[in-house]
Amino acid sequence: MPLEYLPIMAQNSAPKPQRELASPSKTAWCPLKKPISESRVALLSSAALRLANQDPFVPREDLSYRRVASDPKAGEIIIDHHSGIGRVPKEDPEIVFPRNSLAKLVDERIVGMLSPFHLSFMGGLRRHREIEDDLAPALAQELKQAEVDLALLVPY
Amino acid sequence: MVIGTALDIMSKVAPPRAAFVDHPVGCTFGSPHDRSRNETVLARALAELPRFTQAGEIRDLHCDWTPGGDRAWEEELRAEMLHDH
Repeated sequence: MPLEYLPIMAQNSAPKPQRELASPSKTAWCPLKKPISESRVALLSSAALRLANQDPFVPREDLSYRRVASDPKAGEIIIDHHSGIGRVPKEDPEIVFPRNSLAKLVDERIVGMLSPFHLSFMGGLRRHREIEDDLAPALAQELKQAEVDLALLVPY
Repeated sequence: MVIGTALDIMSKVAPPRAAFVDHPVGCTFGSPHDRSRNETVLARALAELPRFTQAGEIRDLHCDWTPGGDRAWEEELRAEMLHDH
């Protein structure tokens, strides 16, 4: 039986009500159009991470996002998320944002190619309506313009 | 596709495709600086992609955090998460 996180979140929230979990109002389903070995892949991260030379995220309700260059040589990754789980990932962001591993899978021809950039935003926001109406469509538009075939979201 | 460690949260949110990694939250792709493990988890998730047949499905990548499947890490993580709050 895997560890259940919802009771821990409830205990952390008490005596306030537990944080609401929102599901998309419309279920998204898009069939795979190409083999992975021919697909362009992007990472999405809710760790509020960025390159060191980009503007920091502002906890806690920052609705902005960052394009993070997919080339691992682009620079060090900084995690701005305020979560208490951050000590270990801040030591090595690769464990929540596998930028190097994805590039290696491209070199090994398991993945077709990298998106020119990955995307990151702040997880744990309470402004669900603005996420669905503004942030998510903006992220989708970025992925469309970059002609991304597969987006891998790693929650933080 | 979502690649995540919190099965109960993913079950409730129901993303179109989800891959479950039975690691501590914050260590989705393994331990820091373990590039081999990081790549293995990512490759497993990608290999699952063609097997999804309907929205809301969650596929287990069968990744144990410890080699023998020992789950002592759960109590340590729970205590840490409650302490840090």
